[in-house]
Amino acid sequence: VATTVEAPSEHRTVSLTIDGVEVQAAEGATIWEAARDAGIEIPVLCHDERYDPVGVCRLCVVDVGGRVYAAACVRPVEDGMEVKTATDDLERHRATLTSLLETDQPPPEQDPKETTTADNELLVLVRKYGVERQNGLPVGGGRGEDHSNPVISVNHDACILCDRCVRACDDIQGNDVIGRSGKGYTTRIAFDLNDPMGESSCVTCGECVAACPTGALTNKPIRDVPIRPRSELRQVESVCPYCGVGCALTYHVDDERNAIVFAEGREQPGSKSRLCVKGRYGWDYAASPQRLTVPLIRREDSYPKGPLSGDVRGEGRGRRKPGGLVNYDEVLPHFREATWEEALDLAASRLKALHSEHGPGAIAGFGSAKCSNEEAYLFQKLIRAGFGTNNVDHCTRLCHASSVAALFEGVGSGAVSTTYGDIINADVAILAGTNTTANHPVASSFFKQARRRGTTLIVVDPRRERIADHADIFCQIKPGTDVAFYNGVLHEIIARDLVDHEFVARRATNYEALVEMVQQYPPERAAQICGVDADTIREVARLWGEAGAAVVYWGMGISQHTTGTDNARCLIALCTITGNVGKQGAGLHPLRGQNNVQGASDAGLIPMFYPDYQSVDSPGAWTRFEEAWGRELDHERGLTVTEIIGSALHGGVRGMYMMGENPFLSDPNINKVRKALAALDFLVVQDIFLTETAEFADVVLPATSYLEKEGTYTNTDRRVQIGRKVLDPPGEAREDWRVVCDIARRIGLPMDYESPREVFDEMVALTTNYAGLTYDNLGPMGKLYPNPDPEGSDGTVVLFGERFGTDDGKAHLVPAEWMPAKELPDEDFPFVLNTGRLLEHWHTGSMTRRSFALDAIQPEAQVWLNPDDAATMGVADGDFVRISSRRGSIELRAKLSHRDTPGTCFIPFHFREAAANVLTIDEIDPFGKIPEFKFCAVKVEPVAVPEPA
Amino acid sequence: MAAVPGVEARAGKFPGPSLIPRLTEIQREHGWLPREELVALSRDMRRPLYEIEGLISFYPHFRTDPPEGSEVAVCHDLSCWLAGQAQAPEGARVREVSCLGRCDRAPITVVDEDYPEVERGEGPRPNDPYSPGDERYRVLRRALDGDITRDEVITALKDAELRGMGGAGFPTGTKWELVAQQSATPKYAICNADESEPGTFKDRQILAEQPHLVLEGLLLGMWVTGAEEGWVFIRHEYAPEEEVLRAELDALRAAGLVGPGRELDIFTSPGGYILGEESALLECMEGHRGEPRNKPPFPGVYGLWGKPTLMNSVETLADVPVIVERGAEWWKAQGVNGSTGLKFFAVSGHVERPGVYCVPMGTTARELIERAGGVSGGAQLAAFQPGGASSNFLGPDDLDVALDFKPLAERGSMLGSGALVAVAEGTDLLAAATNVLRFFRNESCGKCVPCRVGSHKAHAMLTEALGDGSVEAIEPEIEQLEATLRMTSICGLGQVALGPVMSVLGLQRGGTAARSHPRPRP
Repeated sequence: VATTVEAPSEHRTVSLTIDGVEVQAAEGATIWEAARDAGIEIPVLCHDERYDPVGVCRLCVVDVGGRVYAAACVRPVEDGMEVKTATDDLERHRATLTSLLETDQPPPEQDPKETTTADNELLVLVRKYGVERQNGLPVGGGRGEDHSNPVISVNHDACILCDRCVRACDDIQGNDVIGRSGKGYTTRIAFDLNDPMGESSCVTCGECVAACPTGALTNKPIRDVPIRPRSELRQVESVCPYCGVGCALTYHVDDERNAIVFAEGREQPGSKSRLCVKGRYGWDYAASPQRLTVPLIRREDSYPKGPLSGDVRGEGRGRRKPGGLVNYDEVLPHFREATWEEALDLAASRLKALHSEHGPGAIAGFGSAKCSNEEAYLFQKLIRAGFGTNNVDHCTRLCHASSVAALFEGVGSGAVSTTYGDIINADVAILAGTNTTANHPVASSFFKQARRRGTTLIVVDPRRERIADHADIFCQIKPGTDVAFYNGVLHEIIARDLVDHEFVARRATNYEALVEMVQQYPPERAAQICGVDADTIREVARLWGEAGAAVVYWGMGISQHTTGTDNARCLIALCTITGNVGKQGAGLHPLRGQNNVQGASDAGLIPMFYPDYQSVDSPGAWTRFEEAWGRELDHERGLTVTEIIGSALHGGVRGMYMMGENPFLSDPNINKVRKALAALDFLVVQDIFLTETAEFADVVLPATSYLEKEGTYTNTDRRVQIGRKVLDPPGEAREDWRVVCDIARRIGLPMDYESPREVFDEMVALTTNYAGLTYDNLGPMGKLYPNPDPEGSDGTVVLFGERFGTDDGKAHLVPAEWMPAKELPDEDFPFVLNTGRLLEHWHTGSMTRRSFALDAIQPEAQVWLNPDDAATMGVADGDFVRISSRRGSIELRAKLSHRDTPGTCFIPFHFREAAANVLTIDEIDPFGKIPEFKFCAVKVEPVAVPEPA
Repeated sequence: MAAVPGVEARAGKFPGPSLIPRLTEIQREHGWLPREELVALSRDMRRPLYEIEGLISFYPHFRTDPPEGSEVAVCHDLSCWLAGQAQAPEGARVREVSCLGRCDRAPITVVDEDYPEVERGEGPRPNDPYSPGDERYRVLRRALDGDITRDEVITALKDAELRGMGGAGFPTGTKWELVAQQSATPKYAICNADESEPGTFKDRQILAEQPHLVLEGLLLGMWVTGAEEGWVFIRHEYAPEEEVLRAELDALRAAGLVGPGRELDIFTSPGGYILGEESALLECMEGHRGEPRNKPPFPGVYGLWGKPTLMNSVETLADVPVIVERGAEWWKAQGVNGSTGLKFFAVSGHVERPGVYCVPMGTTARELIERAGGVSGGAQLAAFQPGGASSNFLGPDDLDVALDFKPLAERGSMLGSGALVAVAEGTDLLAAATNVLRFFRNESCGKCVPCRVGSHKAHAMLTEALGDGSVEAIEPEIEQLEATLRMTSICGLGQVALGPVMSVLGLQRGGTAARSHPRPRP
């Protein structure tokens, strides 16, 4: 439901009779609802309780004694009303309406729904009313079909104009793509300006397919796996493997084919049955013929090590046809197949030898936020207890490390203080540096919905992303000026005395220092720096300061700067001085990127913390873990991702174990990463595909995909959910956790577990936050942590109600001075490059570019350029341009977009053939050690390139 | 549960101003709506493209292709159909349009939207309290000066038994009282000047001749109900009348009778008969597709922008000043044959002098046709629609029926939109009724299933049956369709769409027997 109309505040009860039965219903309830509650079913086609009613199909008409019948789905109950729902006359009209709709339908044997999932709701009524196709009504049709979307078919003949898809698209997902076009009998559903679906602004979330009662909007088969009725398939209740939103879903599995047929959203308190294109259509990567199925060992004649393909050597230059992946023909001949025994023995012995020879510091491990909590836990245990070093990290370093640093310092916990769904209780929400419609699509649907229900939405971002279209106030700051903007807002909040002094006095420290700092940022000065006018800064301050509850959600636009920690400190200050933490609809929420980046961090897959953020340099913590693991541990913080790469270049780290990470594409300054990877004495890569990083490996271990194993995953809300095994793994692929155990045993660290469940229990026993959680009580919807009553409660939504997680229980305010980005544009490199993700792709694309749907929708690398800049350079949409920085250059197509301001450009980093990280700078934030992915100086030049062959 | 039950999800969906004026502007500038302009509009206004598509594909005024030379609009609806095919100039591009409200000049063609002005009658009509040379707005000034009270106006309207002249006949005094009693603010008042039903053109005459009465009635309505904002919603085909209104509005502004706190403006309809339906009109004004709302709630409670809204038709408002000035008794005394008040009728079809006549309510159909010069060429009357396209056909035996709400309803027809269309002998009545159905099919908004699909299927069946003489065979289906459309459609359009056909077929309709005609045979 999403209307902007206020609900009546008082709820009275009214009495009426329905089919002679006395019924009580809340005032404002509809007849349909009252009847349902009384156990009387009134047929509907256009109505679905998830949406506001529209009353257009008229199947639900009932007799209330009026001149004409009333649609029960929209008609409110009245005192004394006498409703008849099933008289002969009503049933006759229902049969006639059914018959009218039926005559224009495709015949059942050609109906796209009846021939697949076989759940066409109109045909259910056709059978119920015994409607004959040859009923005297002229047969219609010929309205056309639209197959332009790679995974969704539109059949206009099958459409009954129930508007369910319209409401699903608007009210549920907030994508606002589908509407009615035309008038009268010729009305059709249409996308945008009546464009083909595949060319429209549709983001293929599939919510319309889920909503459609007929064969008008249906899924196409993916990888030729025929779609069949649910009853003929096996259902697996699991969680989406992609982003941190962690949507619950059900996979419908064809066991004979060992294949997923289709996926559907599943009820869960956070995601509420919603999915995006990745979750609904992006699961077939696991079925790619390019899966690794046997262990591989590098051939002797492929030494000395170095990149094996032209692309990874840097010869690609983007002039290939779209859809580039590692060229197996080029890379595979450099490896030979091996048995698991041989490969594991080799991996373990070489790592152990390097460890003995050069000490623990010579070993490092990259785990992955794509793996489960159990795997993260075991991996860091292996590195810490097995190799005696804290050199273990994962891609959180590249995403929210600075946010986590600021949050630990400020509030004593890196986790979100409230959920994404809690925005509905907020008066004001700031979305800071988050392209949320692309990176957290389902969370963004709740943001958009909240805005429609009255939450004031303020979007702060240098790019005018889709979410900005929904903002009440959009502050398009200049890149890298966040601190100035927020200091300006803080200044104004203090100047207007909108500070919650009681909260500050009782629950915060260092307020005076903050006041002193932000005094230097009157809105006029902040405006000069950040480019947002002073009045808007004042308005944001007023709205935020006056809000009863205000919440901030942020993304990489805050964190991926050399001032990332300072940026986050400002947000913490914003919430703290206005008392907006620790209550409903208020708080701090860094939107976590990977499906398990929260969990991997919780499990200790970071160099400074054991599981549950127990510091490796705190004696209490190390004693505890030394006792639990029976090994002496390293008491120094380990190296981070970026530091490990740097160390490898200089002979510090010599042996590495990479479980599911692909730093070649994901880390900044690829030319440097290439040298570092080539310099390693020994590298084990464990993955599901041959990645760019695997070209530098000595041993490649084939892992199972997410869909082929069991484990728990913790989403951005702190919801711990079980991902269940859906498919059998291909060939000899082995679960990551088993492989970690295999290696651990070989280096003399006993790891014997029957199942992930046992690992989970061991991990939980060492944490406070996960206390009480078990596989059994997580259930189908998972649980939020902390959860004092996992049997009875969904868990804690709002943290810090009484005290913060810091030692003194108070929020520590840390003032921040604005500092410019490290590499500012100049005459030679006049553009600011911003990098990030696309809705359809995930990180280095190794999964998503092997998904049929995602690759079909977004097959190639592009650079987003402002049309004015493009015009100046004579570049048209789709032309090739060369983008160069001081570190390298790439060539790719230009996409002209009003969403980027003149002087800036944006490149998603998924595309190996035009890898954005060739350009990015490897300067890091001093606290979070996160690279400045969001800002470096580049130049843009048109290049005349013949069309790719 | 909808927050306000009965108000569909679409209401208030995309906050912000209506895009219709912006689209009209773009079309004025370019002559059509180029795609890049629409994309830019969507971007600038941060509104979805589909919202724009929904509007430009719904309202006939909008064009998505560049115009190619001159264009002739040709009407095929009942009065023009009866007058025979209009001849378009040689080589001109012809576009069929729905009734243009010039049925007195049937068959009408209009070149490049150059609409002819009305021929004004001589001297004031009997409902005009102002003699030539009088200072107008006397009643309004008295009201504003406190010489009369709001209750007095309501009482006068109630006592005069004035009913809505747009078709539904809701008691005007009661409506004004209801809106006045609403506590929600702001309130709005709207004059519905979207008269678009075939055969209906009386409001156009009133707008041309009595703009001062229409606006005075509207301003009185605003004053009585407490509405600070008033609108005249006028169809774009009434461009000359809109100009008259605008001139009158300028005069009112100059006289200080309209201004801050009492704003009045004109909303030009982007086209479509359905907008005459009050809730569709509101949807249009809010910038949505003109699809009628489910009711209740009614506009008096939940109208424009969800606020209490008074809506009356042109004629109703034009009657208000004289009733307040001369009193309910005077008004009632104007009627004949037991009826009260005056009534404007548009008379067209097979009559000698088609036009607008202001006659005592209760005047018989025979007298009215006689005033219009009798049936063309002295022919025999075969049938007539007394109240516009949605009224059931009556036969020669009904000529002495008094033209008023009740007597017509008793005969199985209705006063409707005050448009009498006469059909002479020799006309295929079922074909005429099918022409009427065709109009409703064309003008169906498509929102609900029975009207959208039912009107189309019924028209297709009838057309085929008329061609091969198999009407009897489809009668059971037509009968069922009529009942389903009447009982389950959202608004009046669908509810009445098959009524005229049924009346010609002489079938049972809703408990009242329509006049049984001889079965038409080609």
